[in-house]
Amino acid sequence: MKDRETEQRLRREAKALLEQGKVDYIIGFETGSLKFTTTPLITKDKDSVDRLIINPFIVNNLSEYLTELKGRVGIVAKGCDNRSIVSLIQDNQVKREDVVILGVPCPGIIDLSKVEGLVGKDRDELDDVTRDGDKVVVTVDGEKKEFPASEVLFDNCLGCEFPTPQEYNILLDESSSLVADKTASRKGIETLEGMPQEQRWDFWEKEFSRCIRCYACRSICPACFCERCFVEESEPQWIAPVPRWQDNLIFQVIRNIHVAGRCTDCGECERACPVNIPLRSLTKEMYDLVDDLYHFKAGMDKEAAPLMTHYETTDPEDFIK
Amino acid sequence: MANKKINKKNIAKLLGDWSKEFELFIPSKDEGIAKFAKWDGKDTSFLDWHRNTIVPPKAIFFPPVEEMFSFQKDKQSYHIELPSSDGQKQLIFGIRPYDANALTILDKTFKDTYEDPYYLPKRKNTVLVGLGCTKPYDSCFCTSLGGSPTDSANVDLMLTDIGDEFLVEGVTDKGRELMSMSSELEEATEADETRAKETKEATYQKVTRQLDTKDIEEKLLSSFEIQDLWEEIAAKCISCGICTLLCPTCYCFDINDELIKDRGTRFRSWDSCSFPVYTKMPMENPRIEKWRRVRNKVCHKYEFYPMNFDVIACTGCGRCVRQCPVNWDITQTLEKMQAKVQSG
Amino acid sequence: MKQESEWEPKLLGFLCRWCSYAGADLAGTSRKKYPANIRIIKVPCSGRVDPLFILKALRLGFDGVLVSGCYPGDCHYQTGNYRARRRMAITKKFLEYVGVDPQRIQASWVSASEGGKFTEVVTEVTKGLKEIGPNKLFADER
Ligand code: SF4
Ligand code: SF4
Ligand code: SF4
Ligand code: SF4
Ligand code: SF4
Ligand code: FES
Repeated sequence: MKDRETEQRLRREAKALLEQGKVDYIIGFETGSLKFTTTPLITKDKDSVDRLIINPFIVNNLSEYLTELKGRVGIVAKGCDNRSIVSLIQDNQVKREDVVILGVPCPGIIDLSKVEGLVGKDRDELDDVTRDGDKVVVTVDGEKKEFPASEVLFDNCLGCEFPTPQEYNILLDESSSLVADKTASRKGIETLEGMPQEQRWDFWEKEFSRCIRCYACRSICPACFCERCFVEESEPQWIAPVPRWQDNLIFQVIRNIHVAGRCTDCGECERACPVNIPLRSLTKEMYDLVDDLYHFKAGMDKEAAPLMTHYETTDPEDFIK
Repeated sequence: MANKKINKKNIAKLLGDWSKEFELFIPSKDEGIAKFAKWDGKDTSFLDWHRNTIVPPKAIFFPPVEEMFSFQKDKQSYHIELPSSDGQKQLIFGIRPYDANALTILDKTFKDTYEDPYYLPKRKNTVLVGLGCTKPYDSCFCTSLGGSPTDSANVDLMLTDIGDEFLVEGVTDKGRELMSMSSELEEATEADETRAKETKEATYQKVTRQLDTKDIEEKLLSSFEIQDLWEEIAAKCISCGICTLLCPTCYCFDINDELIKDRGTRFRSWDSCSFPVYTKMPMENPRIEKWRRVRNKVCHKYEFYPMNFDVIACTGCGRCVRQCPVNWDITQTLEKMQAKVQSG
Repeated sequence: MKQESEWEPKLLGFLCRWCSYAGADLAGTSRKKYPANIRIIKVPCSGRVDPLFILKALRLGFDGVLVSGCYPGDCHYQTGNYRARRRMAITKKFLEYVGVDPQRIQASWVSASEGGKFTEVVTEVTKGLKEIGPNKLFADER
């Protein structure tokens, strides 16, 4: 019900922005072509804003498109997307005055893979999946099954610290009532931390052996905004552009170092990976690492200097001889 | 040879008989995702889950990375060594009709245009045992491309699910030979044949996604210069390589050398026309703007391939629709294109 | 067994030309012998060292990497070593999480006059590398 109202308000605001010439584009979500799926809607057309939707499946981090579009953009942003936008502003990739942020307080996004795992059916075989407060109701073969939201939301949503956008022009709803579950959100990482060092390396060797170098993790990541990525450099050639686990792993380690302090734990890289490599067990670790070391959280303050261009004389150096 | 049948409980025994002669591949989820992998001698879990693998079986013939040759500097020249091929006979069990069809489409490039020395030997050494689908995804649209979920056209031996058993049909001589290699197969009865026929008809109806492919080549040709249309279509694409690398009919590859001192190896690896850096190596990418790349992908499959080979280079497997992280959808694209061309 | 005891680790050092490189030079001329295990690359500043250099060195089979620069406050370019400090910290800690022994990735501050300290650092790092053994991280069979 609430989504319906938010949706109506969004359509009104988006239409007004386009009509008044305040933006050239609107970026939001519309119904996708597969069951439950949503898809980005990027439009200049004021009539197509009626296709904009808000529901528990609006998963993409739309800030990804900001560096590509020329002109002023009205953009639908959940908590994490919002921080990615701020981070892009910090990095001078986007001007604050060029974006009109339509903030959506986010109750957490439903991970259909988790639903599939719980009910033992693929998503196209489910009749319905709806959110009801702290529960998610799944209808299969006419039968309703209830699950606590914490069992079916994306891991990164469970760890989300700021589900309600902090930097916005219009906030489409009151603040979010997301129930976080920090432990569940770090489960993958904790399992890894419990392993001996060599075993962790073996784990990643195995995982990265199936990487096909589609670069979806990089393409979908708003923090990976380089026009030319180190991977494609040929003089010197840092890593081979062929999908071998060694080079795949180096690619991902360096990518994580590059997005340190920019990654907002939006979870998009892991979701995009077609071969299910648990990429978030890397990105979330880096996210927590920079928080521990430098008390830095990405995209919290548009005036703040980006993490790696900045330093404090008091930065930890206990590891230096 | 008359059709036979096999009880699902005896599948492992049948595979066991074949594996004496062949290196056997089955649909596997062993490594976290569904793909074809070497059979371990016991796994029959595909009986419970097998729908569509994420990585297509083209990877067996045209792997993501493959050594072409190695070289060693030898005074003024190079000594070149080709990778050794053991000529091992292979059997792919459980290949879906659309993926078998894709191999026939790939043959046009790797066999008819020129003889690819890496793809062809493997292709020649492999027999395909097809397994019809019973539960198509909502992304599947093979029936719009002349296929069907139980089509036996491109395999050697075809299995159709008839409940506790599979009906086994020999399609080619190679396939019929397979039937004689195992004593697990029983004679199929009239009732089995009827059930198979019913299953085939019912499954055909379960493919709900439809694409009108009539005159699609000509329509694409007339849409070619409509930049607005293609810009709109391409807007949400993020230029990753998923849809192309995982497409069973895509065959682009990149070539790289790796050198350490005076010896090295030449590899080829999957490449994608979606990448902004595609063909950057020899020159510039002629398709710098994203809409040109998206247009190329669509036209290559639905316009250029038919022009060259009389066949659409898409089997309707739906991988590109299901795996795309932004749900870019080739059937919606083609519908939009057709609507635009029709409205003038 | 025999091979094990004969094995000597290979250490790659990225040394800032304004301080640690001069420190190494001094160690050489004043006969404060440091282990021959280190191969040295002179860099204009510790801030020049990209984490990629470290990964590439490990990929090429070096057993360890040492980055050495001027003490905080002494960088010829004012801030290079402060930036290097952040980069080294996250590189080392992150790689440790991924599964690389932290002994393989080392950093030090060594001034131009500290030939003795340079010798100590290299000796200590080499000793650590000997203890953990050859870098087989990127080998297909480990
Ligand atoms: S991996 Fe690094 S170089 Fe490549 S796009 Fe991302 S941030 Fe840029
Ligand atoms: S690295 Fe992954 S989780 Fe982090 S911002 Fe990029 S896509 Fe999102
Ligand atoms: S998305 Fe996955 S398969 Fe693609 S390059 Fe990234 S890690 Fe590899
Ligand atoms: S259509 Fe989808 S899968 Fe293909 S390149 Fe674009 S974003 Fe990637
Ligand atoms: S274009 Fe898409 S649907 Fe067609 S064969 Fe390729 S992946 Fe399958
Ligand atoms: S000049 Fe020595 S560290 Fe910067």
